[in-house]
Amino acid sequence: MGDAIEPKVIAFCCHYCAYSAADLAGSMRLEYSPNVRIIKLMCTGKLDTLHLLKAFEDGADAVFVAG
Amino acid sequence: MITAERKSFDQIKESIKEFESLLVLGCGTCVSVCMAGGEKEVGLLASELRIKNRLDGRDVRIGEATIQRQCDQEFIGPILETARKYDAVLSMACGAGVQLVAEMLAPMRVIPALNTRFIGITQEEGVWVERCRACGNCVLADYGGICPITMCAKSLVNGPCGGSKGGKCEASNEKDCAWVLIYNRLKKQNRLENIFKMFMPKDYSTQAHPAQMVNEAYLKVGVEEKHGK
Repeated sequence: MGDAIEPKVIAFCCHYCAYSAADLAGSMRLEYSPNVRIIKLMCTGKLDTLHLLKAFEDGADAVFVAG
Repeated sequence: MITAERKSFDQIKESIKEFESLLVLGCGTCVSVCMAGGEKEVGLLASELRIKNRLDGRDVRIGEATIQRQCDQEFIGPILETARKYDAVLSMACGAGVQLVAEMLAPMRVIPALNTRFIGITQEEGVWVERCRACGNCVLADYGGICPITMCAKSLVNGPCGGSKGGKCEASNEKDCAWVLIYNRLKKQNRLENIFKMFMPKDYSTQAHPAQMVNEAYLKVGVEEKHGK
């Protein structure tokens, strides 16, 4: 596993659902991969193509949107 | 508005491959409205170029700027200094904007990122259609506000022709016959007698290129100011 690539993943999460779920996971002491970085949005409807491109531009290997 | 659409990414990439630094310059008027070259599109294109360059292992400095209009000197003036810090400018304006920026930055290279299409209107979200050919001799009053020069495939001023079928044009079944539209509009206006009028061939001399127009009043004010009267 030492040589395995660990992709940097940016997660855009809606405050009201996906982010709350992640928060709950934290409260329950559930672990998730540290290579997933969460960015909270008040609503994923606010997400713009530019945000996705910027994430890739700044080195993300994958982006996921949850809302 | 003047409508335009972006060239393909491959075409753009090919046209700028020789530059080490590039300013992507947007225009905040017509092409902003038709979502081809405004601030948002500048951001998208610049970002795409940065990602592509990184993937290709190329170190190219990409800057972004959007000005109110690229067809007015007063808006271009303030960005000249910034623009000169780059090897070239990738202009996301219509052809007029690209030319004025190129003139003011000469001999610097200014590359067009858009294909200018036509003078048109927004029909629905994401759809623009041509409505004016800028013929310089408007005849809309005679035809109920529908332009036969633009809307008729043959630009007939006395129509319809024999190719009008079921309200559609023989050039394309998807295109309305302009003359049916004109007939219906005149009928609604109770001006159907207009359809029987014979109009003289249109004077196209107003379309001589390159066209120019002068507002004498403003010109005189300018002259007086220059001479301190």
